[in-house]
Amino acid sequence: MVLAIELIDITKRFPGVLANDRVNLRVELGEIHAIVGENGAGKSTLMKILYGMQPPDEGKMLVNGTEVDFKSPTEAIEAGIGMVHQHVMLADNLTVLENVILGSEPTKSFGRIDFESAAQHLREVSHAYGLDIEPNDLVETLEVGERQRVEIIKVLFRGAKILILDEPTAVLVPQEVEQLHHNLRELKAQGSTILVINHKLPEVLDIADTITVLRQGRTVGEVKASDVTAGDLAELMVGSELPSPETTESTVTDDVALSLRGVTVLNEEDRPVVDDVDLVIHRGEIVGIAGVEGNGQGELIGAIMGTEHVETGTLELMGQDITKWSVRQRREAGVGLVPQDRHEEGLLLTAPLWENAALGHQTQRPYAKGWWIDRAASRAHTQTIRKRFGVKTPNVDVAAHALSGGNQQKLIIGREMTADPKILVLAHPTRGIDVGAQASVWQKIRDARADGLATMLISADLEELIGLSDTILVMLRGKLVAKLDPANVTPRQLGSYMTGAAIETDGNGSADGGAE
Amino acid sequence: MLAALHRLPTWLRFALYASVGVLVLAIAESFESGGVGRLTADTASRAMLKWCIPILLAGLGGLFSERASIVNIGLEGMMILGTWFGAWAALEFSPWMGLVFGVLGGALGGLIHAVATVSFGVDHVISGVAINIMAPGVTTFLSSEVFGNRTQSPDVPGLGEVDVPVLAGGTFFGAETPDILGSIADQGVFFVSDLASFARGLVSGIAIFSLIALALVPLSGWFLWKTRAGLQLRSAGEYPLAGESLGVNVIRRMYLGVVVSGALAGLGGAFIAMELTGFYQNGQTGGRGFIGLAALIFGNWRPLGILAAAFLFGYPFGVSLRDLDGQSTHALLLVVSFCLAVVSLWAATARRLVDAVMALVFAVVMFAWYVQTDVAPDWLPNAMPYVIVLLVLVFAAQRLRAPAFDGQIYRRGAT
Repeated sequence: MVLAIELIDITKRFPGVLANDRVNLRVELGEIHAIVGENGAGKSTLMKILYGMQPPDEGKMLVNGTEVDFKSPTEAIEAGIGMVHQHVMLADNLTVLENVILGSEPTKSFGRIDFESAAQHLREVSHAYGLDIEPNDLVETLEVGERQRVEIIKVLFRGAKILILDEPTAVLVPQEVEQLHHNLRELKAQGSTILVINHKLPEVLDIADTITVLRQGRTVGEVKASDVTAGDLAELMVGSELPSPETTESTVTDDVALSLRGVTVLNEEDRPVVDDVDLVIHRGEIVGIAGVEGNGQGELIGAIMGTEHVETGTLELMGQDITKWSVRQRREAGVGLVPQDRHEEGLLLTAPLWENAALGHQTQRPYAKGWWIDRAASRAHTQTIRKRFGVKTPNVDVAAHALSGGNQQKLIIGREMTADPKILVLAHPTRGIDVGAQASVWQKIRDARADGLATMLISADLEELIGLSDTILVMLRGKLVAKLDPANVTPRQLGSYMTGAAIETDGNGSADGGAE
Repeated sequence: MLAALHRLPTWLRFALYASVGVLVLAIAESFESGGVGRLTADTASRAMLKWCIPILLAGLGGLFSERASIVNIGLEGMMILGTWFGAWAALEFSPWMGLVFGVLGGALGGLIHAVATVSFGVDHVISGVAINIMAPGVTTFLSSEVFGNRTQSPDVPGLGEVDVPVLAGGTFFGAETPDILGSIADQGVFFVSDLASFARGLVSGIAIFSLIALALVPLSGWFLWKTRAGLQLRSAGEYPLAGESLGVNVIRRMYLGVVVSGALAGLGGAFIAMELTGFYQNGQTGGRGFIGLAALIFGNWRPLGILAAAFLFGYPFGVSLRDLDGQSTHALLLVVSFCLAVVSLWAATARRLVDAVMALVFAVVMFAWYVQTDVAPDWLPNAMPYVIVLLVLVFAAQRLRAPAFDGQIYRRGAT
């Protein structure tokens, strides 16, 4: 039978890296085919090659039995291939319709866009696949799950019969994942072929018919989903068992490191984005904050760091009222932060590592001596971080952008932890880094906890949150709505708290009931 | 009440705002000793309409560029190129060729900016400043080679002017028509006559060149919001990767935006040489390219907003032109003070106390200046656009929405 996609011996080299090494992939017509592998295993590169964004160095590609050689995404789109990218590719300030038709606008005379027929076509497509969306909404008003739906509509609008989805569930809560999987099954039933990249194995087993496993740029196996378990897949992926974020016995003490009482932060429209939050973190405790992104976590961090104006309420650090303190005072008093976006907030990408290590501590020893930056001591201290936290780099004078994501993250975590913080705020500490670096970061967090560090952990990785935390608080629309014990809560239950489903069905905040 | 205002058609709403403005001006002037109605005179509004055109064209130029994500601080330089090329071609061939060559000269500047910023990833501001430095050098050289005078050209013909029939007494197929607004203005009724006289200035003695420039306002809006190329250009300014992933040639759209930007600035330059002064002169753009950028910000990156800003910024120039004793400009201080007081009140009702107090302080300072002096300095009209934009940035920054990717450097395939 004719295969929808066949890739034969695809090889792709980047300077110093062999991203794909004679990769083979066979996708049958009308199936859901998953590609799994660790970060850096070459999944995304392979998909970019298939979608015409990058040319392969060697190898052949066949689509529906015909050999193809895409020079650009346009040619891939013409061949009926559509891609839903890992980061949604949408312009916030344009409408859903404008985003969808971009690049294949139906036109009337003088290059005028035929908005009526475009909207009509969009409605037909979204209706046919059960993907409801209002064409004239601005994209910035949409939720994450809705944005993803727009991405899928974008692809279907172009008549794609083969869909590539690159880690579509990375930013979704379990309920949204279910909705997505439902949509994908619907697409399959209507004859589409779907290629999904994912490394969350239970989700892969739930949705896929066939699974191809990549490891270090090579194909290491193709299996039927019905024949394998998550454990088998994990072994194929990493060649060994997966590390887990589990912590050992409790190290929670009675010393309060940080306490928030009735903290409220308002947004520009004077609506509370952090709403009357009470929170206590003890030494040796990791408090996990669960929540769908955009429910006030960022502002809560801002309130603790001093970058957001606290309207009402008080913050105490080791018994001292720090509500009115400046960011620098708080930093110097031992409030540490691993920000959620290391490129935006964590690093100066073009500055050398030792300068990056000094960021946020530039007024303190060993980085500074009075008014002056102490270069020698800064370099020496950065060397210490490099050794203790296993930052792989030739020296501490290279620019931060030369490091891989995992090593950048290790540098940031090292910078914060070696500054002897009283409280450390971790926002998505292992987002977008590979399994090896992830395990090492988890170990450092556990070690610091054992040494009595008070930690606030914000993460979208629910396994990580449940595994590391001593207490989990759920944040919804700026409020802390539930306090859960990580020992007896599943990611699924947590997900239903995060979307508010569980709280609406049982208001007592216990961990036993999720809305099924 | 505000909601009711927003239900009105746009043109009616703007006309209403303008009448309120004229009312304020008429009141302010009545306090001036020996006030001669210069603020609301048809000469003032006619001059405003003329002086706003270069600002408008520079602003529209900025719009095309920044909507495609490229900051164009080189508008001033592109305008300078437009003044020389416009003047030269108008002298050499005809006024219409002057218009065409002004566009081409500016577009050349735009092309250089596009090559630097889009193809080579040079910082937008650095490239723009380079163009601003280069352009006067080029025109001085060309001027001395071609005109035999480093600083000035011979007199340059313009495109001519028209009066609107019936309203302002223009001719209609050779027949005389009444001058309705003119006769109302002559009655001397407070506000009504002011309004009529102000309106008459807008419909009489209009440069044909101005009409072309004004037509570009709806045309720009139509192009950017209704056409395929326009949507792709705007998407490049918001999130270029989106277009790239769908096979849009983002680089080409950015080039389009920046070259059109230069062309519009060049058109503005040609207007200055052909219509405002009637000859080419070194440095005659006088920073209008920058004022155009200010208009772009004030207008919130929208064509109609830019038009409103151009009128607002062009008005003080228009007034000062006939205001040799500085009295009318002096009355403008009172207007500014009054506007600030309104801003203060508005901020206070929105419970933004810091803003309210700041605006009030500024209002009091302006008022004190007004009371303490009899005439205003001649630099005031030139400084006003910048002051207004600063105030807008201070008090209304949250309402402004720049294109999301504005000023960033795009590299193909940098996902």
